[in-house]
Amino acid sequence: MKIRAILLVALLLANAVFADTPARSGRVLGSAVSAITIELYSDFQCPSCKWLYENTLGPLIANYVGKSRVYLVERYFPLPVHAHAKEAACYACAADRIGKYEQVCDVLFRRQDEWSKTGKVDETVCSVLSASEAAKVRALAKDPSVMAEVQKDMDLGTKNRISGTPTMVISHNGKSYQVGPVSFGVLSRLLDSLK
Amino acid sequence: MRRVALIVLRAVLGAVFLYAAYTKLRDPWPLFAASIDAYRVLPEWAVVAVARTLPWLELALGAVLLIGVWLRYTSVAAAAMLGVFLVLMISAYVRGLEISCACFGPDEAIGPKSLARDTLLAAMAIGLAVMVRRGVAVGR
Repeated sequence: MKIRAILLVALLLANAVFADTPARSGRVLGSAVSAITIELYSDFQCPSCKWLYENTLGPLIANYVGKSRVYLVERYFPLPVHAHAKEAACYACAADRIGKYEQVCDVLFRRQDEWSKTGKVDETVCSVLSASEAAKVRALAKDPSVMAEVQKDMDLGTKNRISGTPTMVISHNGKSYQVGPVSFGVLSRLLDSLK
Repeated sequence: MRRVALIVLRAVLGAVFLYAAYTKLRDPWPLFAASIDAYRVLPEWAVVAVARTLPWLELALGAVLLIGVWLRYTSVAAAAMLGVFLVLMISAYVRGLEISCACFGPDEAIGPKSLARDTLLAAMAIGLAVMVRRGVAVGR
């Protein structure tokens, strides 16, 4: 009993100490109490989204999310013009359910040129998963709750009048701004101007 | 008749430039910088320079077009500016960039509608410049 109590206290203390440390939970990253929230509407088949992922997202996470200045939420917004984008979003969402979002997101963008042409989303995603993980993700990708989660993001994007991808909806002090595929240098100027 | 056309052209173009300036100046300047950066044609220092100066240029150009002074120069400047905007928008559209045109704030994507509108505006500015060159009587 005492050991349990000690463990509980230690857990609470650790939680308090590391409260500002961003914990990656799939497509949600950072501290929810950050002054700035960025909702990133992205499409895995969109070349500009790949560009943003490869050039801006890393430094944004390191310099702003990691320092609890930005709360980042990645949202699925597959565009109808991209034939395999919704399937890719469902696979990413399924991977998120088993804690493999980052790996799947990374491979989908890295090998975008290939699967965009061939349509081999399943093969691309499963290349970074173990056999058991792949089986789970395959099943989950067709699960109505996963499809509903993707659709929910799409509906939210439509409601927020998202017209293209990638779009970052930057919210600060009750105001919202929409930004497209921007380099980190320019984005950091914008974030720094929001005081 | 030509005089009326000239007054209409400079009034419309002047109002458009003033409104474009207003939509950029009401937000923090880095927001406009982000829209320019999305075109991926300028280095960061140039993006910053354009974002800081262009809205004020649009404001000044809109005002002088409405007032009707220095039309020989302002009509050419308006045509040149709108021509450059149009070329950049077509270039982004052809490259498949799904970005905001940044014409009147950050919310409007480049597409057939915005391209058609900017083509019309550029044609109007060229028409104005031609009319002024041909010596159609102007307001001042």
